[in-house]
Amino acid sequence: MRLRALGLLGVIAGVCLLLLTLQMRGRAAGASEALAVLTTPVQTVLARINRATLGVWGTYRDWKNVRTENRRLRDEAQRLRVEALRVTETASENDRLRRLLALKQSLPLETMAGEIIAREWGGWVRSLTINRGRGDSVGRLTAVIAPDGLVGRIVDVRTGSSIVQVLTDPASTVGAHVVRTRTPGIVEGEPRGTLRFKYMARDGGNLQIGDMVVTSGLGGLFPGGIPIGRVRSIDDRGAALFSYAQLSPAVDFARIDEVLLLTGSGAARDVAASFKGDG
Amino acid sequence: MRTFLAIAVLGGGVAHATVGSALRIADVAPDIPLIVVVLLALRRGPEFGCGAGFVAGLLQDAATGGLLGVQALTKAVVGFAIGVVGTRLRVSQPLVQVPGLVVLSVLEGLARYALLQLFHFPAPFGELMTYVILPQALYNGFLGAALVLALAWAETLKERTS
Repeated sequence: MRLRALGLLGVIAGVCLLLLTLQMRGRAAGASEALAVLTTPVQTVLARINRATLGVWGTYRDWKNVRTENRRLRDEAQRLRVEALRVTETASENDRLRRLLALKQSLPLETMAGEIIAREWGGWVRSLTINRGRGDSVGRLTAVIAPDGLVGRIVDVRTGSSIVQVLTDPASTVGAHVVRTRTPGIVEGEPRGTLRFKYMARDGGNLQIGDMVVTSGLGGLFPGGIPIGRVRSIDDRGAALFSYAQLSPAVDFARIDEVLLLTGSGAARDVAASFKGDG
Repeated sequence: MRTFLAIAVLGGGVAHATVGSALRIADVAPDIPLIVVVLLALRRGPEFGCGAGFVAGLLQDAATGGLLGVQALTKAVVGFAIGVVGTRLRVSQPLVQVPGLVVLSVLEGLARYALLQLFHFPAPFGELMTYVILPQALYNGFLGAALVLALAWAETLKERTS
């Protein structure tokens, strides 16, 4: 058995060396051809199987990769959306605070910043709650303003918070005048959340849509010149003693988050110059 | 059984160039025909190992476009040698299989290099050893051991079911 194997090895070695020698002399092309006839079809079939298998495998891997990638991108998009919202919110807050600071610095009055912590928006009462109270020496009837104009007045002071009666509150009245014509009158809140300017008919003959109405400064509660709103429509009642004009409020009460409280004395001063671009 | 052996030898020889690339790791492909020849020689003895090595090697030579007879001879020698000494080795142990196949692959590579040197093969020995022979030998060792274990497991399963 061992001898047979050795013999076989010898024969094989001889054949191989013969093949190699013939090839080196360029005479073994026939052997290569013959083997190629045998190997090429097998290789072709195997290559097809291999390609098909790899194709299926590759498709599966691609699908898996796409799924992973998709999940990752979705998570990233979600994160970026939240991030973008946060950035937008921060930028918006920054802008609001910057405007508030600019107003605070330009006002010739002592002020205190407050943050709105609650809103009451029913028709009966329209008020805001701010985070300044008795501890901050906030006084009742303190005027509350925003960078766009007058917000209202403090009507109730509590520990740590105060209630601001908004201009649109039905019980709110503010002495005012039209900037262009100096027509005096009273701005009143209405239950539907709008503002109206009540004036003597004989004084308001040439009132126009778009006219700016500001605080008059009379009465000692609000400094003069704080924007209240613009005339939106005029209700001329003919021979009646009073006429009315509907106003669009200068301040968007539903959107403000920070306000300034005019805490110092000097309510009689005119602060119109601090509200540039209005009027 | 004979059909299986024929497929193993012939398929192993031809499939290496076609399918072997799919098993490539970091540009190193295992020498599947060598592993097949070793496994067959261990089970069927030197005569079969020698013949299987010759056929598989010859087909590998033909399929890869190399010099006909180089791998046929080296694999025939490996098949013969393993068939002779296989009975004395405890090849069921992975601790023998992995280093055994690694050493065998290195020896086959050296033999192939020596044979090719007779025909003025130009590649430098150091580079060939570093980038071809040793990485392939390591791969062969682990793949061969995995195949031996898989075969042993399949046989155990077959015995249990029968």
